[in-house]
Amino acid sequence: MNGYADQLACCRPRREFLRVGALSLLGLNLRQYLALEAATPAAARSKQKAQACILLWLEGGPSQIDTWDPKPHSRFNAIPTRADGIRISEIFPRIAGHMDKLAIVRSMHTEENNHPQGTHYALTGHRPNPALKFPSLGSIISRELGPRNNLPPYIMVPEHQETDFFSYMDAYTSAFLGSEYDPIILPDPNREAFQIPDLSLPDTLTAADIADRRSFLQAVDRGFRQKEKHAEFGRMDRFTNQALTMLLSPRVKQAFDLSQESDRTKEAYGRTRVGQSVLLARRLVEAGCRFVTTSGYAHGAWDTHKDNDQRLRDKLAPTLDQTLSVLLEDLQQRGLLDSTVVLAMGEFGRTPHLNANNGRDHYPDCWSLILGGGGIQGGRVVGASDDQGAQVAERRVTMGDLFATIYKAMGIDWTKEYVNPGGRPLYIANSIDDVMGQPLHELV
Amino acid sequence: MSDWKKPVRVLVLSLLPLLAPGHLEADRDRKSPPVEPAAGRNDSADSGQFRSPDGLRDFRLIPSQVELRGMSASQSFLVLATDSRGLEVDLTSESRFSLSDDRLAQVEPEGLLTALRDGEVRLRAEVAGRRLEAAVRIEGTRQARPFGFARDVVGVFTRNGCNGSECHGGVKGRGGFKLSLHGINPREDYRWTVKGGVYQVLSPKAAEPFDPRVNLEVPQQSRLLLKPALELPHGGGQRFERDSADYRRLLEWIRQGAPYGDGQSESRIERLEVFPRQAIMEPGTRRRLLVTGFFEEGGSQDLSREVLYESSDPAVIEVGPGGVVRALKPGQARVAVRAAGKLVQVRCGVIRQPLAHYPEVAGRNFIDDLVFDRLRQLHIVPAGLSSDSAFLRRVCLDLTGTLPPPERVREFLADRDPLKRERLIERLLNSPEFVDYWTFRFADFFRVVYRNAYVYKSWIRESLARNKPYDQMARERVAGQGNGGPTRHFIKSISGEVMRPHEKMGEDVRVFLGIRLDCAQCHDHPYETWTQDQFWGITAFYGQLTRIRDLSVFMDDVSGNEEQPEGPKVIHPRRRREVAPSFLDGSLPPSAGINPREELADWMTSPENPYFSQAIVNRVWANFFGKGLVEPVDDFRPGNPASHPELLRALARDFRLGGYDLRHLMRAIARSGTYQLSGDLNPTNREDEVNHSRALPRRLEAEILLDAISRVTGMEEAFAVHEYVGGGTEPRGTRAIELTPEVTPSQFLEVYGRPVSRDSMPWRDYRSTLRQALHLLVGSTYTTKIAAEGGRVSRLLSAGASDREIVRELYLAALSRFPTAEEETRLQALIEGAPSRRKGVENLAWGLLASRQFTYNH
Repeated sequence: MNGYADQLACCRPRREFLRVGALSLLGLNLRQYLALEAATPAAARSKQKAQACILLWLEGGPSQIDTWDPKPHSRFNAIPTRADGIRISEIFPRIAGHMDKLAIVRSMHTEENNHPQGTHYALTGHRPNPALKFPSLGSIISRELGPRNNLPPYIMVPEHQETDFFSYMDAYTSAFLGSEYDPIILPDPNREAFQIPDLSLPDTLTAADIADRRSFLQAVDRGFRQKEKHAEFGRMDRFTNQALTMLLSPRVKQAFDLSQESDRTKEAYGRTRVGQSVLLARRLVEAGCRFVTTSGYAHGAWDTHKDNDQRLRDKLAPTLDQTLSVLLEDLQQRGLLDSTVVLAMGEFGRTPHLNANNGRDHYPDCWSLILGGGGIQGGRVVGASDDQGAQVAERRVTMGDLFATIYKAMGIDWTKEYVNPGGRPLYIANSIDDVMGQPLHELV
Repeated sequence: MSDWKKPVRVLVLSLLPLLAPGHLEADRDRKSPPVEPAAGRNDSADSGQFRSPDGLRDFRLIPSQVELRGMSASQSFLVLATDSRGLEVDLTSESRFSLSDDRLAQVEPEGLLTALRDGEVRLRAEVAGRRLEAAVRIEGTRQARPFGFARDVVGVFTRNGCNGSECHGGVKGRGGFKLSLHGINPREDYRWTVKGGVYQVLSPKAAEPFDPRVNLEVPQQSRLLLKPALELPHGGGQRFERDSADYRRLLEWIRQGAPYGDGQSESRIERLEVFPRQAIMEPGTRRRLLVTGFFEEGGSQDLSREVLYESSDPAVIEVGPGGVVRALKPGQARVAVRAAGKLVQVRCGVIRQPLAHYPEVAGRNFIDDLVFDRLRQLHIVPAGLSSDSAFLRRVCLDLTGTLPPPERVREFLADRDPLKRERLIERLLNSPEFVDYWTFRFADFFRVVYRNAYVYKSWIRESLARNKPYDQMARERVAGQGNGGPTRHFIKSISGEVMRPHEKMGEDVRVFLGIRLDCAQCHDHPYETWTQDQFWGITAFYGQLTRIRDLSVFMDDVSGNEEQPEGPKVIHPRRRREVAPSFLDGSLPPSAGINPREELADWMTSPENPYFSQAIVNRVWANFFGKGLVEPVDDFRPGNPASHPELLRALARDFRLGGYDLRHLMRAIARSGTYQLSGDLNPTNREDEVNHSRALPRRLEAEILLDAISRVTGMEEAFAVHEYVGGGTEPRGTRAIELTPEVTPSQFLEVYGRPVSRDSMPWRDYRSTLRQALHLLVGSTYTTKIAAEGGRVSRLLSAGASDREIVRELYLAALSRFPTAEEETRLQALIEGAPSRRKGVENLAWGLLASRQFTYNH
């Protein structure tokens, strides 16, 4: 029943026993690790490499021909952009002005056709399997780069609204990597009483109280702790120390404190779940997070089985157009764009032809996404679809290729393999048929 | 018939003085065991171990007789003796071998005998002044054994690890070269080697490119030779040297045109045997394994130098080629021996220090006989019996998931009846809390989800309350039809769809047989011998699974009331053919009944099916010890053997003979001395975590922990119901173990890891997390409940209890024990030093709830 974490040692890059970056394998605790990291000149480890990644998660799966891969049979016109020769849908006028910073991949090809499975596939690179758990992109990046400035490395904001979320959870977790690489999930930052649970002292409790409580704890547990040297006890001690640092460090608290942003900035991002989540993501990345998944669209918002055009035009596109544009501007102004990868995608694309409800259905064979920042070449298009936007016409790109591209931008060895507790090797950039993904050389 | 009915033998308490730390420490500090002053050692590094004859007895030469057949047939011999402490020692290297007739055979110093001519010869071994003999009969030396690809070439692959699961034996092979796992399918291996081609998961056809691994024109240029000899880059590194025996064997085969050989007369190995099955060794010693292959058409052969050896823990046990095992440091490891797709395992225990006098440790029932016997062999002395309070807390949590209230603790501690533990066990087994708790447990085992919770959970609860035999529960679930409780597990958690036949099969096989077949859905199982054909054969039993009317009747209705819809047919994905039902052992159902799942249920629950009883006793065992005898509990396979195989079989047998009675099983476990051990350390059990030499701490599950916090603080938890299903709250007094996870959001339960993803088997995460640490320090579950008016803390204060009384009461509530004098003094002082008395008591309560003693069952 226990034992899952005990097998963590299995998690190692094959044939690279000596090059592991894992805390547990080096026998370092977090504090030692941070000290080590501080002692290593940041430049030596990762000069010009991206330090963080923000994923704008377009849950439900946006239509490729109505967004980044315009076709004549889309109801929307294609408009020119700031990048020469690149045209996107007219519903993203502001993003068009930032296309010099963004690359489009128009030939994504994936394998799952339904939301929970597609989400799992897009965020782990693996099809779900009842016998196996796979770590998510955010967990892998967190593990490979480690935390910065005492911030949890992987955060997700906001939490999903629906119970259906439970069937998606496997897509976001660290699987066998260790709970320190699970996402911290935050509530909706656009709510009036937005507060991060358990991240600040309640009114009834002072720092002195906590110290006092800990002396009671020590008195109660002394005898037992002398006898039992359970590995998990030591882990909990480390987490407790980290938690205390977070609770008592103004820097950590500020990272989560949206009230420090001006009303103007909040307005610029939009007073919506999406807008405020993306704004919070920027704060978190600025403070030291490695990977932030932001969403905030209603459950299945991009899942336009009905009234595709209207929903895109009236709701979805304006929100994305605003938040992504402001995010790019904001990151650039703060000098963070070169160190932050920004990726906007859903779990698949949509059928190139409208159904009877003026909607479009799930479509993984050929779809599009955009990414930029973190040293990724903007103003480029990778791959192409056919005339209909139905099949890949040029340069099939898989999830493994996309992961490898992001890893390369972040200075992570994309060829790495983990070995799961059952002994199965897994590429961290896993492509179709369990082969290794390759970075998109046009972009990194 | 079963041990629990016998009068209980009381654990011999007199062993406790023997276990006083000083006793063993003193023993350990002596440089040489005083009892055997003559025992000496040869310190030369390579000679292994050598003892003077005085301490040794039971000298034997193994095998004592053997028949060898064919040209150059050979056999390894071992010389063994038992030393004064009962350890078996390998004296082969120290022995001098000779033959009664040197014309018939020759023998090498390490005991390897090779046949030369037909006849009978005696092998003599001399060691330590003793002379041992073995009879060898030699036949057919004029006949060369016919060549066989399976034995002669695949054997090279296996021995060198080429066809292991991480190399070419992996699902898709490696580097474009695929081999069957550990040589289980030599015909396919021949095709991949000689013809080439790329394995495809979803098609029996090989894909391009077809480039053979052998070069018949220039045999030396075959990649089959260049790669493993590292004359070309090879991901697997060098496997053998150019001109080594294996290199030459492959080269000779290619030179002869790479034939498959005579498949007809080919000898196929039916099973492997290894001697010894178990080895207890001291660090620094060596011994040799003897592996014998038995052929389908009869006869056997020594394969010790032909097989692959793998240690499960190379830091403890190292195995060299030829099967020489070297003990490195104290611990446990298994040596897997593989040949021709077959596997046998040797259990190795490396002991820290042999005990000259192992104390008398009496068991209470058959469980203890097996557990303590193993401990004795390993020279590990178990901890003594747990204290009454430790036992009380442990058994209440394990049988009912509930902490005993302070008055019950006082009552139990004061009770002088020597049988009070047995009485307590009976009382708990018959309590309503038992049914609540095991309904919660079985909701995990049997996958209760929101969509099916109501009727399905009632069926589980009623089955447990009535003590329905477990085989009947299993049959009702596997064969379930129509609209009743046990059919609802066919429903998926989120969508409410009926699970697909292979999903349902995979789940039932995991639940009831403890086997993970899921990997074999897409390809033959990567580590084991489950094949895709077996997977789809058993899936076919579920081929009629369908939902015939929306929401009212979920399952295939064979009663004739409804028009029988044609259920989904089961199609084998690689062969693209419809599959007929067949059991995992390949046998076919006796008749094509109208509901094939009834036949499946009979097969699954049959007393001849060894997995069925073992799977459930293993799950129940894990409830009481934190780990199954097989771990993970649903991963039974030859490569993942039980820590105590005899115990697992004995428990399963007792369970079967006891009428599949879950309470009977739990009673036997709870009454055993093994379960009732304390967690105390002694010098021999300090490092042991697998042999049940003491009680190990196990973290409470999220639900149990939350209920315990509510009980200790005296403040019930109010659980919200998700808006998705109407909102509101659960009735007052609802316990966390009664909830349906998907629709009852709870920050605490999510932080502490409740299983929520329920479309596959729920698994629980016991890892510590940062969120737990944060919640513990400032989370509302702790801060609010401790400080609440009307809670235990405020009640104690307003009742005017003294500091001492408060400390005692909170200890009884949280830890089921009184504080030690030292704890009492220290904590009273801390309360006095607090800013206010109330704050001090609240902080004490927090300290108790945050303690590892509270958070763990131990």
